[in-house]
Amino acid sequence: MANNIVIETKGLHKTYDESKVPVHAVRGVDIKITEGEFTAIVGPSGSGKSTLLNIIGGLDQPSEGSIIIDGQDLSKLKPNQLIDFRKNNIGFVFQSYNLIPVLTAKENVEFVMLLQNRNEKERSERTKELLDAVGLSDKYDVRPTELSGGQQQRVAVARALAPKPKFILADEPTANLDSTSTRNLLDIMARLNQEENITFVFSTHDQRVIERARRVISVEDGKVESDIIK
Amino acid sequence: MLGKLAWRNIWRNKLRSLVVVISIGLGIWVLLFLLSFNQGMITNYIEDGINTQTSHLQIHNPKFKDDKELKYFIENPETISETLASDPTIDKFSTRILSSGMVATSKTGHGVNIMGIDVDAEKQITNLSKKLTAGDYFPEGKKNAILIGGKVAEKLGVKIKSKVVLTFQDVNQEITTAAFRVLGIYETNNAKFDETNVFVRKTDLARLTNLPETTVHEYAVLVKDIEAVESTTAKIQAAAPNQLVESYATLSPDLALFESQSQLSLYIMTTIFMLALVFGIINTMLMAVLERMKELGMLMAIGMNKTKIFFMIVLETLMLALIGGPIGILLAWITVGLTSENGIDLSAWGDGMKEFGIATTIHPALNLGSYLTVGFAIMLTAVLASIYPARKAVKLKPVDALRSI
Ligand SMILES: Nc1ncnc2c1ncn2[C@@H]1O[C@H](COP(=O)(O)OP(=O)(O)OP(=O)(O)O)[C@@H](O)[C@H]1O
Ligand SMILES: [Mg+2]
Repeated sequence: MANNIVIETKGLHKTYDESKVPVHAVRGVDIKITEGEFTAIVGPSGSGKSTLLNIIGGLDQPSEGSIIIDGQDLSKLKPNQLIDFRKNNIGFVFQSYNLIPVLTAKENVEFVMLLQNRNEKERSERTKELLDAVGLSDKYDVRPTELSGGQQQRVAVARALAPKPKFILADEPTANLDSTSTRNLLDIMARLNQEENITFVFSTHDQRVIERARRVISVEDGKVESDIIK
Repeated sequence: MLGKLAWRNIWRNKLRSLVVVISIGLGIWVLLFLLSFNQGMITNYIEDGINTQTSHLQIHNPKFKDDKELKYFIENPETISETLASDPTIDKFSTRILSSGMVATSKTGHGVNIMGIDVDAEKQITNLSKKLTAGDYFPEGKKNAILIGGKVAEKLGVKIKSKVVLTFQDVNQEITTAAFRVLGIYETNNAKFDETNVFVRKTDLARLTNLPETTVHEYAVLVKDIEAVESTTAKIQAAAPNQLVESYATLSPDLALFESQSQLSLYIMTTIFMLALVFGIINTMLMAVLERMKELGMLMAIGMNKTKIFFMIVLETLMLALIGGPIGILLAWITVGLTSENGIDLSAWGDGMKEFGIATTIHPALNLGSYLTVGFAIMLTAVLASIYPARKAVKLKPVDALRSI
């Protein structure tokens, strides 16, 4: 079965030259990620993992090279089109959860579907299904401040999945979690990956997380050092 | 959904939002009350001017306007009187003989207009008879009675029953003097008026100036409906083309000046208030945007476009104004309601006000239009003030969300 390529980067470079000494955060990255992957991007601090993920997610522009998501070259999109593209194609999970604090768990998950103008029935069914899938069926109407870090991150995963994106990008999703919550979250992500064929790309330092990945891309000094498929 | 999000966002920092709501409310309250006070003052001023001085309209010989000489009386006053009496829009009128001269005692003299009035008709037209502070309004049978203003009485050192000497020209330009007895002292709301006018019986003045008693220099007319003043004025003017017929607005142009002056000061006040509001709102909303930078970046990352972000910030601002605005309008409405009936007594400053012909009791009044205008202005101000913070929000880079913390 020829899997679809969902992410393709071509000759990606990123130089931060706001300061006097330019920082070459990414120096020539060419990777392809196909549908259904469960891929970790690993590397020491400052190696360029976040920069790479931000560029792949269309949150930052490369200095050179291009990113093609599901056939669409991101550099061809205007700012508002890019936001719409992210809304429909990319799910984000952030290190510090970043839920909307004034909305409940349910409303947070529903939010992007509202932006997509999905109907009420579809929204509430999918919200319920996703919150159940991440084990939060009893926390629908709870605001983020009343949830633990692990619970917030599970809401974030449900939120990222809600608009049915092509893949989920997660920058150090477990960095703020204890080991139980980390294991719990990875179980959920791995299950969604296996049962629903959801593509996950996440960065991490954590050896326990790296062990769960099925493909490990090591980055050092802005370059891919190794790319191992287990 | 944008509404729900905006609504919840404004209550994240309750204290800050309350401060904004309260300042909008208080500001509108004060502003509307000043407006109503101003409106009451204008109305008072106009009514006072009509009741004391101008009536609704007056008729003169056109030449009398520039040169107040006795010989410029109105020709054929009987036809004018008939016209006035038969016009259904006219309520009442009085006729006057006017002269000018000097009122004097052994102590000193004072230049005045001498108003020869039909004492019974005048009672119906002006409020002079109600403004006496001492004595009586032309008691029956007393010849050569005179009413003078309080300040003039003081200056001349006269009391009720004192004698004064009036000096003026008769119709042949001969200097005439006559002794009058002060039988009443009056005080209106207009100190200038009191200082310049004395009142005598028309019959006395006619006799002393050698004019027939039927002479008229001035008609003072009241119409039934003040709204109809201008149309009635035009109608009478057409019926009496040789006379000069003028409404109160033309007769005392200072009235219009007063109105435009106080209107101007009101615009200035409103502008200052709105400017303060603009800066207050910009400051508050900018703070609200800057402390939410990360969240706004996240919203853009997960797919909320710039238009929606922009409107969310505008909506948040508008909501604050929509809470504060009605509170202020309600407070103003209550305050105006409470004070309009009995008025606000300014007698502490009364003497100063009288110099300008302003009554000492102001009855604040405000029409619906003013409430709506101010309400609308607040909404507009809020929207305008939110544009800058909203633009700031839109300009944020979503990448900040991932990078921070
Ligand atoms: N906005 C920026 N301006 C300047 N330099 C930056 C900026 N963002 C990142 N860098 C630099 O780029 C390099 C790569 O940073 P990046 O955050 O991508 O690394 P990382 O692998 O995610 O590190 P960590 O594991 O600590 O999160 C670093 O040297 C960093 O200092
Ligand atoms: Mg990083």
